[in-house]
Amino acid sequence: MTDTAPRGWVPVEHRFLGLDRRTFAPALSVLVIALLLLYGLPGLNAAIPWHNEIRAGDVLDLGDGATAVPPVGWQLESGTLAGTGSVSPAALQVELATGGATITLRGTAFTGTADAFLDQVLRSEGDTPGIDGSRGTVTTAAGLVGVALAGTSPNGDVLDVAFKMATASGEAEAAPALLVRVRTSPGQFERQQDTVGTFLRSITPGAVR
Amino acid sequence: MTMTSDAKTAQLVAIEQSGWGQPFRLVQPRNLAFWVYLVGVGGGALALLRYFGPGAHFYSPALTGGVLLFGLYLVPWLLLLRHQNRYTAQPATLLAAAFAWGGLAATFWIALPANTALLEIWAKLGGTAFASNWAAGLTAPINEEFGKALGLVLLIGLAPRLVRGAYDGFIIGAFIGLGFQVFEDVLYVYNGAAQTFGTDQITSSLQVFLIRGAAGIVSHALFSAIFCAGLMWVLGRTPGERNVPRGVLTMLTAMVFHFAWDDMAGLSGGVAVLAILLPFVIAVVELVTLFYVARHAATQERIWIRMLLQPESDAGVIDPALLAAVSGLRKDRKAFRKLVHSRSRTRHLLDAAADLARELAHARGSETNEVAHARAELLRLRGVR
Repeated sequence: MTDTAPRGWVPVEHRFLGLDRRTFAPALSVLVIALLLLYGLPGLNAAIPWHNEIRAGDVLDLGDGATAVPPVGWQLESGTLAGTGSVSPAALQVELATGGATITLRGTAFTGTADAFLDQVLRSEGDTPGIDGSRGTVTTAAGLVGVALAGTSPNGDVLDVAFKMATASGEAEAAPALLVRVRTSPGQFERQQDTVGTFLRSITPGAVR
Repeated sequence: MTMTSDAKTAQLVAIEQSGWGQPFRLVQPRNLAFWVYLVGVGGGALALLRYFGPGAHFYSPALTGGVLLFGLYLVPWLLLLRHQNRYTAQPATLLAAAFAWGGLAATFWIALPANTALLEIWAKLGGTAFASNWAAGLTAPINEEFGKALGLVLLIGLAPRLVRGAYDGFIIGAFIGLGFQVFEDVLYVYNGAAQTFGTDQITSSLQVFLIRGAAGIVSHALFSAIFCAGLMWVLGRTPGERNVPRGVLTMLTAMVFHFAWDDMAGLSGGVAVLAILLPFVIAVVELVTLFYVARHAATQERIWIRMLLQPESDAGVIDPALLAAVSGLRKDRKAFRKLVHSRSRTRHLLDAAADLARELAHARGSETNEVAHARAELLRLRGVR
C-alpha cells in the first residue's frame, strides 16, 4: 500500500465548495486587482468631470500651422491648443464636447480629393447608420473647400465634412486630409447649427509655403 | 562517505526547493487560480473579437500582414528566451500559459479598458497638452506592468512548487511580456490602418512592424522580466531569497523604464538632438539593467544546479571545470571554453551536463534509465569511455 494522494486530491479540511482553499489567496488577489483596474479606473473616470473649457481666444492647433477656432464653453477632451505643443496633421485627433453634441476632428495622410477621402471614410466604416443624404459644399473663411454629408438616425444627427488641407493651389491631392464629424442627440442639431457653422468656417490651412 | 551522503542530501534539498522536474498542469478544476486564469484569458479573447470584429473584413490586409510579420518576429525571441531558460527549464506549457495571459488577458481584458480610463483621467486633471506629453507614461507602467504580473501570481497559484525563484519570475515575466508585446503590436497595426481609413494598408502595417519591431527589443518582454523578478524577490518563495527593498526597487525600475519609453517626446522637451539620442541612451541603460537583474536573479538557480550536480562531480562524472561552467556565469563558461579549445565541444558538454541535471530532477535524485543514459552520454562526450 502506498500513501501517495491521487492527482488533484484536496484534503477535506482544505475544501470549500469543492475548491482547494489554499489556492484562494493568489486567485482572489489577482481577481481584486484586475477588477480594480477594469472597473475601478473607469468608475473613477466617470466620477471626475471635465474642466477643460474652451475660453474666448483659444485656437486649436491642427498641425503644420493649420488652425480652427473652437466654440467657447465646449470641453476640449482631446487635442492641443495652439502654442501648447506640437501636432502632426497626419495623426490629428481632436474631440470637443458639450451637452448633447460632440465635434471630432481626425487628420490623416490621403492622396486624392476631399470627395474621394469622404468615400474612403464611408467605405472603412461600412454602413454607417443615418448617413444617406446628398453631398454639399462647405467653404471656410480662409477659402478652404470641404465636402459635407449629413444624416439622421434614431440616435441623433451626424454631419461629416471632409477637407484637404492644401496650403496652395495645386497641392490639394497630396495635402493631409481632415475629417470633421459632428454628432448631436436627437433634435439637438438645430440648436448647435450656428455654432457648428462658425467652427467649420474658422478652419484655416497652414500658411502658404 | 559522509561527504557523498551530504552531497546527496544537498541534491535532494535542491530538487525540493527548486521544484525542478515538477510537471505543470493548466487544467486544475479544484484550483481557483485556474478559473480566474480562464476568466482573464477568456475575457481577453472576447474583447479581442469585439475590437477587431467589426473592421476585420475591411482591414484584413493590415491584420493579415501584422499577424504574419509579428508571428515571424516571435521566432528569434523564442530562441533567445529558450537559451535564457537554461537554469530553470520551465515546462513549455507553463510558458505558453504565460504568453497567453500576456497576449489576451493583460492586453485586452485589463489594459485596453484601464488605459482608456486612466488616460482620460490625466487629461481631465492636467489638460490635454499635459496628457499628450505625459499621460501614456503615467498610465501604461501602472496598468500594464501590474496587469502582466497578475499572470505570474496566477501561475504561482497553479504551480506553486515550480515557480519559486526570482529567475523563474524573470523567465515567466519575459514570456508574459512577449505575449503582450506581440498582441499589442498587431493592435497597433490595426489602429495604424484605421487612422488612415484603410488606405495603403500593407505599407502602414510594414511601417508599424519596422518601428515597433525595433522598439520591441527593449520593450514589454524586458519590462516584465525585470518587474516579475522584482515581484519574486518581494514574495520570497525560496528560503533566504526574500528581499523586499530590492524587489520593490526592481519593480519601480521596470516602471520607470516603461514611463521613459512611452514619454520620450515629453522627456526630450522638443529638443531635436535629445529626441534622437534619448531612445538609444534609454535602451543601453535598460539592457545593462536587464543583464544585472538576470545575473542576480540566477544566483539561487546556480547554487541549486551546483547542489544538484555535486554528487556527479564527486563520482567523477563531471569534472570541476565543467561543474563551474554549468553552474557559473558567462566568464566561467568562457574560461571553460578556453580550457576545452573548442566552441562546439564546450556547448555539447554544457548541454549534456544540463541534460543530466534535468533527468536527475525528473527522477527526484534516484537512479532511472534516463539518468543513466544522460550520465553515459556525458561520459561519452568527455571521452571517458
